[in-house]
Order: sequence, then C-alpha cells, then structure tokens
Amino acid sequence: MSPGEDGPVLVHAAHAEEWDGVLGTLHGLIAVCDTAIIFYFLAINSGYLVLILLALAELVRRLRRVSFVGYEDAAASPFTPPISVIMPAYNEAAGITEAVRAMLLLHYPVFEVIVVDDGSTDGTLDALTDAFDLAEVEHVVPEDVPMRGEVTSLHLPRGGPVPLVVARKENGGKADALNVGINLARYPLVCMVDADSILDSQSLLAVAKPFSDDPLRVVAAGGVVGIANGCTVEAGRVVDVHVPTDLLGRAQVVEYLRGFFLGRTGWSKVGGLLIIAGAFGLFRRDVVVAVGGMDPDCIGEDAELVVRLHRHLREQGRRHRDYRVVFVTEPISWSEAPSTLRVLARQRRRWQRGLTEILLKHRRMIGNPRYGRVGLVALPFYVLFELLAPLVELAGLVLVPLGVLIGAVDPGFLWRFLLAAYAYAVIVGLVSVAVEEYAYHRFSQWRDVWGVLVGTIVENVGYRQITGWWRLRGMWDALHRAPQVWGSMTRSGFGPPQRGRKGGDRL
Amino acid sequence: MIHLGFVTQALLFLPGLGLVLSLLITGTRLVRTYRQGRRRRLAAPVRAVLLELLCAPEDEQSELLDRIAPADKRTWKALEPTVAAMLGKVSGRARTALVLLYERRGSPADAVARLRSRSAARRGRAAQVLGRLRHRPATESLCRLLDDRDREVRLTAARALGHIGDPVAVPHLLESLHGKRTVPPAVVTAALTSLGPDAVPRVAAGLGDPAPLVRAVAIEVLGVTGAITRTPDIVRALWEGPETEVRIRAARALGRLGMPDGLEPLLAGLRPGQPVTLRTVAAGALGNLGAVAATGPLKEVLGDADPHVAGTAARALLRLGPAGEAALREAAVGRSDPRAAAQARAALAEAAVGSTRRVPVEVVL
Repeated sequence: MSPGEDGPVLVHAAHAEEWDGVLGTLHGLIAVCDTAIIFYFLAINSGYLVLILLALAELVRRLRRVSFVGYEDAAASPFTPPISVIMPAYNEAAGITEAVRAMLLLHYPVFEVIVVDDGSTDGTLDALTDAFDLAEVEHVVPEDVPMRGEVTSLHLPRGGPVPLVVARKENGGKADALNVGINLARYPLVCMVDADSILDSQSLLAVAKPFSDDPLRVVAAGGVVGIANGCTVEAGRVVDVHVPTDLLGRAQVVEYLRGFFLGRTGWSKVGGLLIIAGAFGLFRRDVVVAVGGMDPDCIGEDAELVVRLHRHLREQGRRHRDYRVVFVTEPISWSEAPSTLRVLARQRRRWQRGLTEILLKHRRMIGNPRYGRVGLVALPFYVLFELLAPLVELAGLVLVPLGVLIGAVDPGFLWRFLLAAYAYAVIVGLVSVAVEEYAYHRFSQWRDVWGVLVGTIVENVGYRQITGWWRLRGMWDALHRAPQVWGSMTRSGFGPPQRGRKGGDRL
Repeated sequence: MIHLGFVTQALLFLPGLGLVLSLLITGTRLVRTYRQGRRRRLAAPVRAVLLELLCAPEDEQSELLDRIAPADKRTWKALEPTVAAMLGKVSGRARTALVLLYERRGSPADAVARLRSRSAARRGRAAQVLGRLRHRPATESLCRLLDDRDREVRLTAARALGHIGDPVAVPHLLESLHGKRTVPPAVVTAALTSLGPDAVPRVAAGLGDPAPLVRAVAIEVLGVTGAITRTPDIVRALWEGPETEVRIRAARALGRLGMPDGLEPLLAGLRPGQPVTLRTVAAGALGNLGAVAATGPLKEVLGDADPHVAGTAARALLRLGPAGEAALREAAVGRSDPRAAAQARAALAEAAVGSTRRVPVEVVL
C-alpha cells in the first residue's frame, strides 16, 4: 500500500472508530436509561403498595373503633365547633339550588352555608334568589385575607332562620371566591366544597371529629371524594353506589380508590398529607387567615394551601407532633368525574399544571430537613412519582423500543419484564379494591365489583399512558406560564332520582 | 440489573397472586352476604317481640323480656345492633325496658370487666355501652379510664360519664384537662354540662384550680348551666384573670347568665387595648345581657378598626331593643365615621329582612 493511499484509509478508520464510540456511548446511555425506567416502574408501584398497606392498617384501626366514634354525641352537643361551609360557584344555575338545599340538610349542630357567586353569567344568583327568597342587604366584608374581585352584593333569605349567605362578586377565579367566603365566614372552621359536590349527611360530623378530638393540633382535615357517575342520586344524596358502565369511568374509580382514598389515608398515617381535595376539606379559619388564604395565582389552590400550611407551621417552629393535617376515611363527598376524553384531558392538564406550580413555588421545602417528613419524604415522593411520572412513562415508550432496536436491551427480557411490571401494577390496583371491599364495601352489586376489576386493568393499560401525555402538557403549561384557562362547566344538575347520571364536565 | 430468571418467576407468581386477590374479593363479599342473611333470619322472630316490648305497658314487659333475654349468643349478636340503635332513640318506659334487657343479658357486668381489656377497641366499646346504659355503678371504673393510654378511649369514657350523670365524676373530668393524657375541653365541657345542677358545687370548685384550662372549663359550664349564684366568681375571673382564654370564657358565661353584675366587667372587656377575641365575645355577651346601659359603649365601637368587633357590636345593639336600634339608625346616617355607618346599615338591613347574621355562641376553638 502506498503512503498516498494510507491517508484516506486511516481517516476512514478514524471516522469508523469515532462512530463506534458514539454508538457505544449511545448504546450505554440507552441501556442505563432503560434500566432506570425499569427500576422506576418497580419503585412507583411499590410506593403505592406501601401507602395502601399503611392505609389498610389505619382502616382496620378505625373499623374496630367505629362503634364508639361518638357521632351521636357530637350531633347533639352545643360544644361541637360550628362550621362555615363555603361553596364557590361559577355558572352553576343548573344544579346550584339542589346542591345548596342538600347542604342545608346536613346533619350537624351549627353551621352556615356561604355561596360565593364568582360573576356567573347564567343566572346562578337568580336561581338561588327564587329558591330561597333572597333579599339583597347592605354589607361589610372583613378583609382578613386579600380579595381581588369586589363583592358587589350580599343576599340573605327573607324572614327565616335558614343559615344561608350568598355573595355576588366580580369574576376572579375559584381561589378568589374562596377567599371571599373565608372573609365572610363567622365560624372557627371553614369547609370548602365544590358546588357540584354531593355530601353524605354525616360528612360534616365525620370531618369535624378530628378537630373536636384534638383541637390544639388539628389544622386541616380532608375527606374521601368518590365518583358520582353511575350512582343513584336522590334529593341531593347518593343513595346507591355503582361503578360507571364506561371504561373511562371504571378506570377513574380505581384511580380514585388507589391514589385519592388509600394513598391519602397512607400519607395521613405518616404525617405527610399534602393534598386535601377542593371538593371537600375542612380547615381552621384562624390558621388559613394566618397564611393569607388561598393563592389566586395557583391553579391547584387546594393542594397549595395545604403545602403552605405545612410550610408556615414548620417555619413557626412547630414540629411533626405539634400539628396534624388529617385525612378522614369515613365521610364521603361525591363529585362528577369527566365522562369524555376531551374533558378528562383538560382536567388532567390542569391538575398537573397545578402540581408543577406548587412544587416550583415551594421547591425550597423539597428534601429540606427543616420541614420534617413533608420535606424529606412526601415532597420528594411527589416530585419523583407524581410530577415526573408522565415524563418517565412516556420516555419509556420511546427509549425502550429504541433500546431493543439498537440491541441495548434483550427483547426476551423486555417482554417478560413488561408483562410482569403491568401485572404488578394490576396487583396494586386489586389490593386497593380488596381493601375497599373489606373496609367499606360501598359497591352494592356484583356487576360493580366486576366493573372495578375491569377498571384495574384499563387503568394500567391505556388510561395511564393517555393521561401521561396530558399531564406532560400540563407540566409544559406551567413551565412556560401559559395563561390560565378556567373553561366552562357543563352539568346535568341534581334532578330527580336518576341512575347512571351522565358525568359532567368537571374541570 | 434484574435477572431474567427472577422476572420469569415473577411472571408466573403475579398472575397467581392476582387470582388469589380476585378470589379474596369475591370470597369476602360472599361471606358478608351470607352472614347478613343469616343475621336477618336469626333476628327476625325476636325483632317482632322487641318491637312489642317497646310499646308494651309496664306489667307486660316482664313476660316479653323473658322471651327475648334467654336468646342464644348468635341470636343476641344478630339482634344487639338493633337494640343499641333503638336505645339511642327511645325514652321513658321503652328505654327502661331496653336497659332491663341488657341487664338480664349481663351486658353491664361484661362491659365493666372489659374496661380492663388489653385491647383499646374493647375498652372503648365497653365504655360506650356503659354510657349508653347510664350504668351508675361503672362511674368509678370509667373515671379511671380518663387516664387511659388511648386517646379515643379517654374521650369515650368522658362522654359515658356525662351520660351516666353522677356528680362524683366532676373532679376526675376536670383533672383530665391537664397532664400527660388529656381529654379535649369541649368533650369535658359537654360531659360536665350534662351532669346537671347537682354537679354545680363540684364544678365551682374548679374555679380555684391553678390550671387556667380547668378554670376556663369550669366557668363555661357554670355559664351554660345557669349557675347565677356563681356570677361574682365569674366576674372576678374576667376582671382579675391574667389568661385571655379564661377571660373569654368568663365573658361568654356572663352573657349567658344575664345577671346585671356582668355589665361592668363586660364593658371593660370591650374597651380598646383588650385582646380582639375578648372584645368580640364581650360585645356579643353584652347583646345577650340586654342591658340598655351598654348602648353607648357598643355604639362607640361600631367604627372599630377590627371589623369583627364592630360587626358583633352592631348585631348586639339590635338585641338591646328600641334603644339599640335607635343608636344603629343614628350611626347609619352619620357622616363622621363611614365605617360605623356601614356596619350599622348592614346590621339594620339584615334585621329588616329578618335574617340577622348573629354568631349564636361567639365561639373560639
């Protein structure tokens, strides 16, 4: 070979070596990513399983004590702390009357219902005025927490002892409406509910119990939120619980059961509860006022308030054992879950955006020992398994097949692993169903049990992946600060007894 | 990295586990349905007799009790929840009959024995039963349970003592407010209140307790039970007490008692410089007192910087009758103090529609 011919060959060889190096690095990187994704999948489901087992321990404890829980005494006692129920409403004309009527019939010694009409344009106030014979009165609204939209009018029922107040304000969003309600509240406990929430008659007694039993430490309590789709509703009460017949509804029932009921019960048990659903939560008014009320700039205002309460109390020097944020398993509030993919997509984008905003806003707490279990366990869990879950799951959908293509992952191993991993996730769902069946067995018919079993499979295969994409978009919305879109709410309202009520477009 | 063999084994194990869980869910449901049916069948014949017992005249009760009480253990277990539910709903002769039924079954003695159980749930259930039966001989045992290591058991014991109504429990209930194992003030207050007038002297003894919380609860109970003879002690607590919590309870109690001696200390509690919560409660209590002499001071605070004090004062004026209403009307048209005018107009507007937003108990947690 002549020296003239050596040059191109050497260059070619060098290029090939360089290419091999790049390929090798890529190969290694994808292999590492795939391994990480595999371990992530195991860790997330194991995390849920641990929370479910913690919840089971708590449920066993509570069930053994149910006969001396003391609701009858609380219902009859003049010393049971009175509650102001705050119901923000925006374009709720279809169902507001029945919802308020049902609220006023709750079983509790002393409470008032404050409806805050957030500038509705569909005649929400007119519906209430007709139903409760409201009269406009002059008003003074204390500014204990900041308000953005001005209260334009205040309305009270004529002549009767009905404990109802209706405030009309300029549109400012749900958090702002809640702040108006907090300012108008006369009682030491404020219960925040959605206008479409259906509460069981004993809900207030149950959710207020921790405040009566441990008044110096309990600052907030949340209750179980169930899915009303498919249930029989009579006079504003769920009288017969069923699982929706559609797959979307079934998957959401399992998701609520695993994540929202058992997951939160588990977190409450270890003192790391971060989310109390806006659909049903009870707070000490003085503590809410001390932290400045709801944050109108945050979409997930309900969860943000709880995180801020933790932050405030810890920064005040209170330790884990000095205060409690409790999840109560007994009471139940029912809400309509989205029954179409379009509405579900909007809801999940909003939820994930809210979560991202909260975690960004309170990032200083994450992994910070100053905030105890909340900072060291709960928040890192939420970052890893709630915030990043859609990112990792969707990355897995791209990287794992890529790994197979370039030979970084053994296909024989992969298909077995994927099957095992999804089977594990289904097992976690089944454990949730088993725990519910043991503890409360709310589903009345065998076909409901079948429906929920189908739901455990659909939730893991299909539902999670679809919602993962929407959640990813929600994260993106938060990161580039897209304008907040509150959207419209379409409801069928609380009409006469109905079976299989169509899920509303709750956002 | 995970071994292929492990994954393969997991793949075989997990479907099996899924099947076991599905069978567990189905099995749990089947067993429950069967048990419910069996209980219904067992209880059905006795339930009819039970309903007869509730409506029976006194002389026929004994015969009916003879028919129900000897029921075997399984039948009683099926029937007991119904009896317990009824016990909370009926009174008079029907209630006495149900208590007799429990006694013939030996339930009170069993419950007293279970108060010493190692299981907190059993102790709690036993305390609940004894309270429901108002079983006086159990008072002493229940008083011991106020120091139980389990919080919920302590609460149940306190409630049970309230139901039983034996004034002997008063010092124990007051003592349970402080120390390592406590009972919340609201539960103790409710229990003490339900003991009735016989307990007043022992409750009043709590006014001299060194623990502020004990004094606060004693004052609250005396206010609720209408112990007007204790007004001077409560007045002293409001004047001299250094603890805000005690003073708040004293102000509330004076409002409830409605004695003229309460006027001066309540007016003092309303003055600027006092804690806001005390001022708010004092304003509400002055309204309850109904003394026209409070009109001026209440009118003065209509323009107070704190809207809660001002709002409560406005509604208190409404309760003072024509003099208070006249003061509100005057303030409503006054131009010197827009804040006071707004509060007065709001209170008058509420009164005009007959829906005053009065805080009925002037509560603080």
